[in-house]
Amino acid sequence: MSFILKLGASALALTLASAAYAEESADFWKKAAEPYQGVTIRGVTESSPPSLYIREVLAPEFEALTGIRVDVETTSWDQMFDKAIKDMEAGTGIYDMAYIEQDIIYSYLARGFLTDLTGFLAANPDLKAPTYDEANFTTFANYFKDADGNLYGVPMEAFLKVYLYRTDLFEDPKIQAAFKEKAGRDLVPAKTHAEYAEIAEFFTEYGKEYDLDLWGTTAQAHTGHVASWYEYYESIAPTFGVYNWGIDANNNYAASVANGGAMNSPEAVEAMTWWLSMRDIAPPESPASTWTEVGTTFGAGRAAQGLVYGENAGWIAADAEKSLVVGKVGVALPPLADGVLADAEAGEGYIGYYDGGAFGMPHSSKNKEATALFLQYIGQNEVQPDWAVAAPRVTNTATYEDPKVVAFNDELGGYYDLIKDKGYLFAGAPAYPFHAQVREATAPIFYQILLGELSPQEGLDKMAATAEATLSDLGYRK
Amino acid sequence: MRKQSPVIGIIFWILVSVLTLFPIYWLFVISVKPAVQLFSTPDLILSDPYWGNYAKVWGDRLLRSYMLNSVIISTGNAVICTVLGFFACYALSRFNMSGKESIFFWTITNRMAPPAVFLLPLFLLMTQVYTVGEWKLLDTRIGMILVYCTFNLPFAIWTLRPTVDGIPKELDEAAYVDGANSWQVITKIVFPLCRPGLAVTLILTWVFAWNEYLLAATLTNFNARTLTTGLSEYVTTTGTEWGVMATISVFTLIPALIVFGLVQKHIVAGLTFGAVKG
Amino acid sequence: MQSKRLGWILLAPTLVILFFFGVLPFFYVVYVSFHSWNPFAVNPEMVFNGADNFRKIVFDTAFLKSIGVTVMFVVFAVLSELIIGYALAQAFMRDFPGKAIFRTIHTLPLIMAPIIVGSVWKLMTTPSIGIIPHYLEEWFGLTMNIGTSAPAAFATVVLMDIWHWTPLVTLTLIAALVSLPPDPFEQAQIDGAGKRQIFWHITLPMIAPAVVATVFIRLMDALRTVDEVWMLTGGGPGSATRFVGVHIFKEVFPKTNYGYGSTISVIVLYLTIVSCWLLYVTMLAPRSKRG
Repeated sequence: MSFILKLGASALALTLASAAYAEESADFWKKAAEPYQGVTIRGVTESSPPSLYIREVLAPEFEALTGIRVDVETTSWDQMFDKAIKDMEAGTGIYDMAYIEQDIIYSYLARGFLTDLTGFLAANPDLKAPTYDEANFTTFANYFKDADGNLYGVPMEAFLKVYLYRTDLFEDPKIQAAFKEKAGRDLVPAKTHAEYAEIAEFFTEYGKEYDLDLWGTTAQAHTGHVASWYEYYESIAPTFGVYNWGIDANNNYAASVANGGAMNSPEAVEAMTWWLSMRDIAPPESPASTWTEVGTTFGAGRAAQGLVYGENAGWIAADAEKSLVVGKVGVALPPLADGVLADAEAGEGYIGYYDGGAFGMPHSSKNKEATALFLQYIGQNEVQPDWAVAAPRVTNTATYEDPKVVAFNDELGGYYDLIKDKGYLFAGAPAYPFHAQVREATAPIFYQILLGELSPQEGLDKMAATAEATLSDLGYRK
Repeated sequence: MRKQSPVIGIIFWILVSVLTLFPIYWLFVISVKPAVQLFSTPDLILSDPYWGNYAKVWGDRLLRSYMLNSVIISTGNAVICTVLGFFACYALSRFNMSGKESIFFWTITNRMAPPAVFLLPLFLLMTQVYTVGEWKLLDTRIGMILVYCTFNLPFAIWTLRPTVDGIPKELDEAAYVDGANSWQVITKIVFPLCRPGLAVTLILTWVFAWNEYLLAATLTNFNARTLTTGLSEYVTTTGTEWGVMATISVFTLIPALIVFGLVQKHIVAGLTFGAVKG
Repeated sequence: MQSKRLGWILLAPTLVILFFFGVLPFFYVVYVSFHSWNPFAVNPEMVFNGADNFRKIVFDTAFLKSIGVTVMFVVFAVLSELIIGYALAQAFMRDFPGKAIFRTIHTLPLIMAPIIVGSVWKLMTTPSIGIIPHYLEEWFGLTMNIGTSAPAAFATVVLMDIWHWTPLVTLTLIAALVSLPPDPFEQAQIDGAGKRQIFWHITLPMIAPAVVATVFIRLMDALRTVDEVWMLTGGGPGSATRFVGVHIFKEVFPKTNYGYGSTISVIVLYLTIVSCWLLYVTMLAPRSKRG
């Protein structure tokens, strides 16, 4: 099913399904919106499927209901941040809503760029919709709260970066037998890095032997794009026990082992060495792969297993127009080193990335009341199920139970179950207001490691030193 | 060289054309392939085209408004830059103004600026200074036309200067003797003689404006968004929609070809003025 | 002759537009370049720090390296474009069947937006599945991987630039060639001058201003190249194609390092002006004597 088709179909379904609840709640929306008839609120977002759903389905509905027009500007990932930052920094008030990603929320909070939604609704009880409640959101909403628990963004995208594997290959008796003969154990999704490596090597060998375009793993290892940096820090290092990029926020933002950080710790080096060895047996396009190409590589059936963003897991598993492996995809937790799962259970660590974003209201917005109405509108339980099917993402707890979502979960190989049951083991970006700054400062060294110009140890030493220098420059490290 | 048979020439041109066209052909191939096939083994020959992307792009109302904005902004900018550039060149060429060579060189320095940092001051100026009441220059077509002058006007001046300098001053003087005024000399005598240069300038300024991305991405939001910013919408974390991007680009070739077709014959017209036998 | 006032009137619109959209922003950038300013630092305000940024830039190896690769890129790309562009422009001066069609075909790359050019070339050169690496491997047994090989990535970027921008050189040179008066050439032929002599002594001096203008345009555009490279390699592998344009982009956008980014831009602008000025003076000095 193509996205557009789904969009149309679900728009239709939504109008029908919503007829019942609309009766009662429509009164509220009409009344609350009365003073803001004819107002246009504007938002900026990345053009991802969930955002497009807002633009194409939720915004027109909201306008029909309230007379408030919603314009959503969709743009590229790089541009989205820059435009919102310029607007909020200058206080221009172009945008009433801005997409805030995990990566940037703490930078915005540090600058007071966003409106406290909890506080705003408490101060304006007339605007509070009966069908909106912050308690409806999954734990993911916690990443958009300040220290006092006030919410600054209505979650609209949430994904896990998961371990995908090809069920058709893993369940093929011939392959199972061959693997057992070679490895002396059954072919099942890996629990440890050694198992993962063994499976990866097996399939890369297998592909070579039978002259197939098949490799044992994906690797998001671009040598000039931050996607590779993210794969290492979000998805590889934590599974070896290196959390929050190895920077210790409670210890004067130390990064190097000498100062009490872990960026160049033996675990970090081990993680890097392991990941590079996986990259070497991944498909040849891996050194030029960002998140886009990793998704496409897996969707084209070129990899037997890999770590893939949840945004892509949806279409890889279910969209036959884009993917060759529809119905052949299983999901599992990533392979872990000893002790990492225990850390995550105890809340001291995490096993992977809980990715996503929310819609926040810039402090400079000139239509805060109307915007608050729309943000509540997209946060209601009632609008979620169709949205979750059109663009696989879940932000409200109730959504998991909806029959449509339960059915779609099967199509996705149990992906929603995994989010529901294991989501708490994953974490969003570290709470750093200097996210992009440190990332960009260290990324060039990271690329040198990928190219073999620096050994993992040398490179990570240099990255730790650069991270500390950057943090000192910015004034975070004293 | 001049005496070679035309066949060799034709073969040469076909070879050049194949090299030139290949990436464009490949763009077309991408636009008629379903996403699934993009990452499978490539085939030089196109078989079984898929028109889904075309249906999608054709039905997109936003893209149509982007297309209209692009056409208005690039055409407006190209005409303004070519005309103003011509006037400036005429002034620099014919009048003995003090410091004119420095001015000439200074104009081009406006094009040299790396655009990334200039976005911030432009944004501030267009939201806080160049405003009338509630109206801001930001996100307007006229705003983009003016901003694009910073790189296109210097370009026009620099490409037109040799052409205008090349028109003998004796022609102006003869016209003045015949009783023409300055305006008539400029528009009736010099302007027509500069046609090839003007045509080339018009085409190229149009192309630069048509293709500009960074400034448009930052300085437009809803009303004046251009096609190139529309294209960038398809680069997302969920994946880049290569097929749709390629399809839009194929569509953008059409207005561009029309403009080229209209203007190109004036380049040919110039040939009558003085053909070189090399 | 005529009153200078008319000259200034004709020049005025240009000066006004460039002042409001070029000079004012430039002053702002110069102002910021003397400050440390990152909106996501502990102190988000602009803080005057004298010439610190300018001192820092001298020791900034990443920046110096990006200047190095940019110069290499500009030399390779612009020289090739000039030579090929001139040859094609001369060839278009002749009459042959289908000339209009060939000329249109030749100008087609120009109408493709840089981000599209970058995308197409990226898809054509994706390791192992792009059409170019695929057939290099199949026909010649060569491996081309722009993700790991710096020379391959650099060469691809240069080729892409040549493909995209040679038509611009051709067009401007055609405009210059068609505007040349025929008399000197006829005279030279009567005098029995050879083709090479005609080129060096007559054609070249006469089209020199146009050549200089074209080289300038290509030079400064190549120095500012961002979109195409951004799409194709992102500046990689490592820093092999991290040209100054890309370098500044990364400094200003994701890093929000407005202060230091402005400093780099001012320096790059200064270097560009100086090198262009030198080129201008050397190439056009003989001409200025003519008055």
